[in-house]
Amino acid sequence: MTLKMLGALGLAVTVGLTSLPAAAQGPIRIGASLSLTGTYAEPGGYQAEGYKLCERDLNTKGGLLGRKVEMVVYDDQSQPATGVRLYEKLITEDKVDAVMGPYSSAISEAVANVTEKYKKVMVAPLAATTSIFKKGRKYAFMVISPAEVYLEGLVDIAAKRKLKTIAIINEDTLFPKASAQGTEELAKKAGLQVVFKESYPKGNQDFSGLLIKLKAANPDVLAAATYFDDAVALARQMKELDVNPKMTGVTVGGDLPKFQELLKQTAEGIYGASQWEGALPYPGAKEFFDTYVKEFKHEPSYHSAAGYAGCILYGEGVKKAGTLEADKVRDALLALKTRTMFGDYQVDRDGFQTAHKMVLLQWQEGKRVVVWPDDLANGKPRFPR
Amino acid sequence: MNVAVTPAMIGQVLVSGVLAGALYALVALGLALIFGVMRVINIAHGPLLMLGAYVTYFLYSQTGLNPFLAVPVAMVTLFVVGLLLQRTLVFRVVGAPELSSLLLTFGISIALVNLTQLAFTSNLRTIEYITGSWIVGGLALSKARTIAFVFAASLTALAFVFLRSTRLGKAIRATSQSREVAMVCGIDVGRIHLLTFGLASALAAAGGGLLAVIVAIQPEMGGVWTFKSFLVIVLGGAGNYPGALLGGMLLGLVEQLASLFLTTQLSEVVAYVLLVLVLLVRPSGLLGGRQT
Repeated sequence: MTLKMLGALGLAVTVGLTSLPAAAQGPIRIGASLSLTGTYAEPGGYQAEGYKLCERDLNTKGGLLGRKVEMVVYDDQSQPATGVRLYEKLITEDKVDAVMGPYSSAISEAVANVTEKYKKVMVAPLAATTSIFKKGRKYAFMVISPAEVYLEGLVDIAAKRKLKTIAIINEDTLFPKASAQGTEELAKKAGLQVVFKESYPKGNQDFSGLLIKLKAANPDVLAAATYFDDAVALARQMKELDVNPKMTGVTVGGDLPKFQELLKQTAEGIYGASQWEGALPYPGAKEFFDTYVKEFKHEPSYHSAAGYAGCILYGEGVKKAGTLEADKVRDALLALKTRTMFGDYQVDRDGFQTAHKMVLLQWQEGKRVVVWPDDLANGKPRFPR
Repeated sequence: MNVAVTPAMIGQVLVSGVLAGALYALVALGLALIFGVMRVINIAHGPLLMLGAYVTYFLYSQTGLNPFLAVPVAMVTLFVVGLLLQRTLVFRVVGAPELSSLLLTFGISIALVNLTQLAFTSNLRTIEYITGSWIVGGLALSKARTIAFVFAASLTALAFVFLRSTRLGKAIRATSQSREVAMVCGIDVGRIHLLTFGLASALAAAGGGLLAVIVAIQPEMGGVWTFKSFLVIVLGGAGNYPGALLGGMLLGLVEQLASLFLTTQLSEVVAYVLLVLVLLVRPSGLLGGRQT
């Protein structure tokens, strides 16, 4: 008998023992709407898988408060209005015991009004916009790092290398704007001089005018608050116009495998920001990664990991509180300070995340290498790009 | 935070403007042809361009064919698609009120975009065939864009020679000037319409194929090209073919200069302000409409 089989046997026994009281009381039902179709279907799908895996793992460890856990997930079609309707339904008609957050800042912002109204704790694992948590809401909890610190690593490395100047550009929409603003503040604090700033419209494909000006400003560092498509166009045109700052970082896009698939050699040396990587030395990260691959036949993204972690954190709060009562769970989550497979968790009085760290990646020889922060890095940044 | 504009920077944007302008002219010429000959505003022009881009992309990625050589294949393919569209659908609205043709081609456009999404997903795709630039006298000339420019300029020139000097080209121009007189002179107007739509689709496909080498492509890339082409032919004079050339260059230069002196955000606004001005001051376009 191999070790693995022994383990499986042990697990089966545990499940058998703990599921007895669970069956007697009926499961704890946790409701959520997720973007399973529509614009956000891709990340929303990952998050759904994270929730699913969390449900399974909680149950194999005996559930919560001795009861089984059951996720009730609906599809909000990537529409905030649909999300609002579904959370109303979950809470008033389905009478779920608890809720978890949807995908994206926009939908989390919309449904938070509903969960506040019914005093339901909502851990919102995929909402990165600061303002959601700074409106006096009592029951919303943030898991990932806010938009403002996406490029903290880029600025930090630049400052340590004694680089002097930075250019900041962004798509003119909510998240990139907040991200650019945050980067500017971080850069000023680090003693970098902002020599160029410009925003561009959503869907912009032609960066030549912007890049010609940027080239003339000759910054050491380029920080670009992007989504995916613009990051690709920007990288290509930088090469065309021979624009070569010592460091170039993008917010969203640079972390995805597709970025390198599309750009090949052009991606080389570019920095991308990520909330999580499978290779990070967080407790349980590797196990999560492996189980995930086994369960869903593909690798998890940070959306999967954040969804999983958010759900585990909620469970942690319930265990600490010893009850499902919202105010007690809220107190437990406010006081909680822990490190999961997703990284550090600690929130301020508003439920705003203060401990989780972004990581900075760099594309080196076609591979993503974590180069910041030092204690999580698995490689060194390469200069000049 | 503003950067002082130097002559070298102006030189660089002028280069970018001319490179972009040739593509605008090429694509808009197709739209101008259809409008001139049939009085149909073809909203599906951009989506046809997108199809051309996909044909080029798949030829390159599946067979390894040089993407610039794949462009002629894309043109032939879309020529046939154009013929089919004209034969089955568009011919029904020729001569009908303009709203009918707008609605029909709008419908075709939605169908093409969604079918492409269904078939190939909305993932971005790129042709990383040629990257980087040549530095000439301090100006960076993007390799891909420069070669695309040469192709676009040659194709546009060829199209003009065709329209000006061949029997068929003359027949197209004659039909564009007066459908009735052309008919009286023994020109098969239905056949000319068919040919025009095919030719215009091929020009759009050429634009799309060249674009695929320059930017990342996706099913919704065409929409903006319908609008830009429309802008170009209104600037130059609707139905006036040399006007498309002038309008294309003008749009390319204005956009680039605006993004240098103002911001990227404003460069699109400037192009449309220009449109409004032209319509106010010279409603028939800079070169006047329908003189061929």
